[in-house]
Amino acid sequence: MKRTDFDIVVVGGGHAGIEASLASARLGIKTLLITLSIDSIGRMSCNPAIGGLAKGHLVTEIDSLGGEMAKAIDATGIQFKMLNRSKGRSVWSPRAQADKIKYSLYMQSVVQSQVNLSILEDCATGIIVNDKHLVGILSEHNGDISCKKAILTCGTFLNGLIHIGLDHFSGGRIGEKPAIGLTESLIHEGLTSGRLKTGTPPRIRKESIDFSKTIAQYGDDNPFPFSFLTENFSPPNIPCFITSTNPLTHETLRGGLDRSPLYAGIIKGIGPRYCPSIEDKIVRFRERSSHQIFLEPDWTDAKEYYVNGFSTSLPLDIQENSIRTIPGLENAEIVRPGYAIEYDFFPSYQLNSYLETKKIHGLYLAGQINGTSGYEEAAALGLVAGINAAQSLRNEQPLVLKRDESYIGVLVDDLITKSPEEPYRMFTSSAEHRLLLRFDNSDIRLASKGFEIGLTPKSVYENASEKKRLISESLRYLKTHALSSDQVNQILSRLQQSSITNSVTLFKLLCRPVVHFQDIEDRLPSDLSVNIGKFRDLGAQIEIESKYEGYIKRNQLLVDSIKSHEGIRIPPDINYRNISSLTIEAREKLTKFRPETLGQASRISGVSPSDVTSLLILLRK
Amino acid sequence: MPRKIKTTIVALSTPHGIGAISIIRLSGQKSLEIANKLTRTSKPLTPNKVQYAQIWDADRFLDEIMLTYFRAPRSYTGEDMIELSCHGSPYIIETIIDLCLLRGAVPAKPGEFTQRAFFNGKIDLLRAESIADLIAAKTQSAHRESSRQLLGEGGTQIQSLKQRIIQIISTLELELDFSDQEISFTPREQIQSDIQSVLTDIRSLVKTFSYGKLVRTGLYTPIVGPPNSGKSSLFNALLREERVIISPIPGTTRDTIEESIQKDGYLFRLVDTAGLRDTDETVESAGILRSRKTIRLADLLLFVVDATADMTDYQAVLPDKTGKTIIVINKSDIADLKTISNLQNKLAGYKTIVVSSKKRAGIHELSTLMVNHIKAHQPSGDEFVLTQKRHFIALKRMSVFLKHALTSSSQLATSEMIVIDLRLALSCLDEILGKTVNDDILNNIFQNFCVGK
Repeated sequence: MKRTDFDIVVVGGGHAGIEASLASARLGIKTLLITLSIDSIGRMSCNPAIGGLAKGHLVTEIDSLGGEMAKAIDATGIQFKMLNRSKGRSVWSPRAQADKIKYSLYMQSVVQSQVNLSILEDCATGIIVNDKHLVGILSEHNGDISCKKAILTCGTFLNGLIHIGLDHFSGGRIGEKPAIGLTESLIHEGLTSGRLKTGTPPRIRKESIDFSKTIAQYGDDNPFPFSFLTENFSPPNIPCFITSTNPLTHETLRGGLDRSPLYAGIIKGIGPRYCPSIEDKIVRFRERSSHQIFLEPDWTDAKEYYVNGFSTSLPLDIQENSIRTIPGLENAEIVRPGYAIEYDFFPSYQLNSYLETKKIHGLYLAGQINGTSGYEEAAALGLVAGINAAQSLRNEQPLVLKRDESYIGVLVDDLITKSPEEPYRMFTSSAEHRLLLRFDNSDIRLASKGFEIGLTPKSVYENASEKKRLISESLRYLKTHALSSDQVNQILSRLQQSSITNSVTLFKLLCRPVVHFQDIEDRLPSDLSVNIGKFRDLGAQIEIESKYEGYIKRNQLLVDSIKSHEGIRIPPDINYRNISSLTIEAREKLTKFRPETLGQASRISGVSPSDVTSLLILLRK
Repeated sequence: MPRKIKTTIVALSTPHGIGAISIIRLSGQKSLEIANKLTRTSKPLTPNKVQYAQIWDADRFLDEIMLTYFRAPRSYTGEDMIELSCHGSPYIIETIIDLCLLRGAVPAKPGEFTQRAFFNGKIDLLRAESIADLIAAKTQSAHRESSRQLLGEGGTQIQSLKQRIIQIISTLELELDFSDQEISFTPREQIQSDIQSVLTDIRSLVKTFSYGKLVRTGLYTPIVGPPNSGKSSLFNALLREERVIISPIPGTTRDTIEESIQKDGYLFRLVDTAGLRDTDETVESAGILRSRKTIRLADLLLFVVDATADMTDYQAVLPDKTGKTIIVINKSDIADLKTISNLQNKLAGYKTIVVSSKKRAGIHELSTLMVNHIKAHQPSGDEFVLTQKRHFIALKRMSVFLKHALTSSSQLATSEMIVIDLRLALSCLDEILGKTVNDDILNNIFQNFCVGK
């Protein structure tokens, strides 16, 4: 292999690295993926699951843009469930238990068979920069590898430090060596690093679990797939098992707090508050006598179970003793201990909306290195970085998604305007346009962009266009056709609702919470309803668009004022320190974040509306 | 060179509320002209000199002030500026600003002085001073800060409203973002009753606004009644009895005479409506209509009747028995006691008082009765009184969104829909308390609920 053949080098074969390298290669760029071990490509370091609240949205968006994650989980998932079903559609989110071995093998096979994509087992130890432009990657065994762009997706490997009790040792994941040198190289080139912490629970041997003391929990019988390409979907439905901690568990855990690296102050990195360790839960929520525990199979016929809800970095003896107080786990054998890991990240204010560093052209960062957590967040960022690095080489338009068109847009914008200091996780409440962003309309929102770039398959794009057309045609019909009060009352009485005296449009009728699409379907012209029937679930989407319409309009009141600033670009070389009409704090924050648009500026904390107005005046002057 | 901005802006530069001294600033081409129109000085205004002046509204004296004229470009904004220090009564401040507006100024937007300074390249010159503070004082956030100061004790009440809304939103967001976890979610009925209780508190706050407004701008107190009942003489008797302040709204209605009196710290804007009917018999019915409008607008109505006259003369025009009317039985000096007590019986249900304007008997008792009337509107105890229109409007809007949320909730809308209106409600408070960000809500969730697997 000649080491000068590659235009884009991706460092890391995790969820971000996979999407980044596939996107780059599929866009025709000669791409090299450097990974410490080919076998670990697509590995799930923590729980064996993809999707979940808000994360499921990210996965369907990745799919609509031509990414791989959704297809992989549809092919290798062992239990699928739609979360939040009792809520409105916009917050429904698919989640799946994965067969983590099959998932990883699936990804290895896709990566290895991808045209334009080469894989190299090595350790990247530095970046090579010439006049603020990235020109290559230093590797431990293969020397300098020149390239035009590089995407770093190093996960938890940068100076990774694993803690189990008061013991700690270097590692990127348990049993794997860390990446040393890269952080220092980036710092040398002027970037700033920080330190984060995350944790994982112990895995226990299947044979040591008494499942009769637990409650089996299955997925949906007729589940939704993640990918718009998946057809004839009939995945396995392997259960998880629920049990819970009790006061004795908590007492046992408390007995080990003096040997907790967290409470002893050894861990300096900031951990995620939404994913606390079990010791954190019993300390912070002392009044709770029980916490739920989910036993999740790591793969089909798994010999190991993941103890969801029991993330810990307490010493192994405490892990063992406390876990054995839990019903069903009295004889549990820990095959892999729970641990905490500290790792370097690069605070995301240093990135622009293409995920390229502002200081070094051609250097992109994606995944946990940006301060995020989660496979889905990583994959989404990897995809964006991969697309943008490739688009730049092809002299094509970059992909910058807006907050009102995707969760990915919210994710990237939050990173570059808020620069989170704890591991960032996607929440539906972070998306102020939540009602517009449904898992089921990701294709309608994004497929045209993905298709234009050249990643999204034509069939997905064409189906999305047809669905969009059918929805707007249906809404138009529903709004312009009324039913007499008699006709309406027929429907209402079937639904045991009190009758009305006026005629009402089909649209108004469908806005009522109890009325569903199937109740009015026969009122649509038959060719329209036949076409709607061709798509699974499209009727329900028409229904929710009707029910949401009034709320979306009111929501617009909240977001309109900000939106008007989105299109106003700020020159990258502006000297904020000389703009005396800005408050001192705003000057500092703007200098640090260097927003690309006035919209971004308005979302930076410490930048007040009057600062935005001052900037507006300046930019218009 | 200063940019040509046509408008002249005016604003109160010190925090709202009662202080010893308040500073009002004018900036723009017409500043000097406006100042000359509303002040009387012994010498013409000289740049950069603090001068004594009196503020006059036409021929009525309002206040003694200190005034400085900054000639362009040597001013904060780089434009002609007038800075005047008046006595810190809300009434005086509002009147001076009204007079400036009347003479062609427009109200400054938050930060507009700074914007102009910026346009005119003036801000660099100020750097030697503690510029950050100066600028901060002009920015919206400082504006909010001063609002917060203004709110004082009452601020905690609004702050607690905000906390309660955040709490309700958090419980709903918890359902949406953490429904996969073992958390007992709040029953919908509880959420509805929480919203209802915020709504109830907002309603009582909003009610205090009318009292706040009465305190701030004074009670509009027309003196009405049938011809020759002695309206003008009562008007004059009250003016003689109590301290006279010049009227805040002079000459808006040419045929009324308005004067303001102060009693026990309350301001009454007395309107002699004598002109309405006494002077022109032929437009009697039009006069009655106009009187009716005056009656409707009244905060307090003094309906004067002649103790010696036959009640049938005016029975038809007696106002409704609303709590805002005092019937003043005039001319007690020439009526006999029996007639008066008969009349009082017939007027049972009205608040009545017997006076003689001519002899100035019962006038003091009347003004005490007037003060008691306003005190009856006073909220009990230490309750916060809403005085700012901005806050009033914000709370009004807020209650509209909360009602929406209640309706949605009772119609089985799901949480993500209910949250839309609650977030809109919350954004109304941003006006008063500063911006709420999503992190505030997430932080609240992380603090109060054990989330995370």
